[in-house]
Amino acid sequence: MPKLRHIAIAAEDPEAMADFYKQAFDFEEVGRPNGVLADGVFLSDGTLNLAILKFKTDQLGKGLDFRGLHHFGVLVEDVDAFSKKLETLGAEYYFDRSQEAGHSGYFEKKFYGPEHVLFDIAEHPWAGCEPLAAEVKEAAE
Amino acid sequence: MAKLRHLAIAARDPDAMAEFYVKAFEFKVARRTDGPLAYGVHLSDGTIDLAILRFKTDQIGRGLDYTGLHHFGILVGDVDACAKTLEDLGGRHYLDTSQEGPGGFEVKFYGPEGILFDVAEHPWTGSEPLPAKLTEAAE
Repeated sequence: MPKLRHIAIAAEDPEAMADFYKQAFDFEEVGRPNGVLADGVFLSDGTLNLAILKFKTDQLGKGLDFRGLHHFGVLVEDVDAFSKKLETLGAEYYFDRSQEAGHSGYFEKKFYGPEHVLFDIAEHPWAGCEPLAAEVKEAAE
Repeated sequence: MAKLRHLAIAARDPDAMAEFYVKAFEFKVARRTDGPLAYGVHLSDGTIDLAILRFKTDQIGRGLDYTGLHHFGILVGDVDACAKTLEDLGGRHYLDTSQEGPGGFEVKFYGPEGILFDVAEHPWTGSEPLPAKLTEAAE
């Protein structure tokens, strides 16, 4: 089954916000993304990637000064197959990107679901997040 | 370590939105809710509770017509100790909620930049317990 593995927050000051969650919940810092879409801090609770980001483009249509929970990400086995399925179900493709070298090397594809809620799908785990169960099993074999 | 185990989306039509995610990702319907704070559907991917809700109060100051990601929830070992830590760090207590049956007790806080989150000691419906609790259960 696909897994929710990524939550992104739009922040004015990602560093200060990340410090709060590190101190409050012992989340670990696992990356400092700085790309064309956003920069900020990746945290992990060992299962999910919590991305605290200052966005550089308005992906939600709520303005660049929007602060709050921004989008989520679902880890899937096959991005192409899920893309087709999502479009069949009426999701609107937004765009895809490959994270530049030096980060985690993942590729993700962004969609708008019902009520214009933005989410990503990816087949490679976000930084600090658990892979799908099947991949864990394969690695152990 | 505390765990992210709950994500809530504000929706106009929670049933339709839930149906989309069930079909798209095979998430399971864990339960339906209609309480004082919201009406909606709780889905599960086996680890996280994804709550798709039509809110009845404006918890995040964006109006009741806001749709989009709303808040998240963190499962902790001790809510009281966690609440003290959060207040020491500048978190602002908003509300304690208590529900009969699944859903349990949770405390809502505003963190930096006014972002709302819950802390709870009991797993949200369909979500995984903390690893320590799993170990205890296996013993």
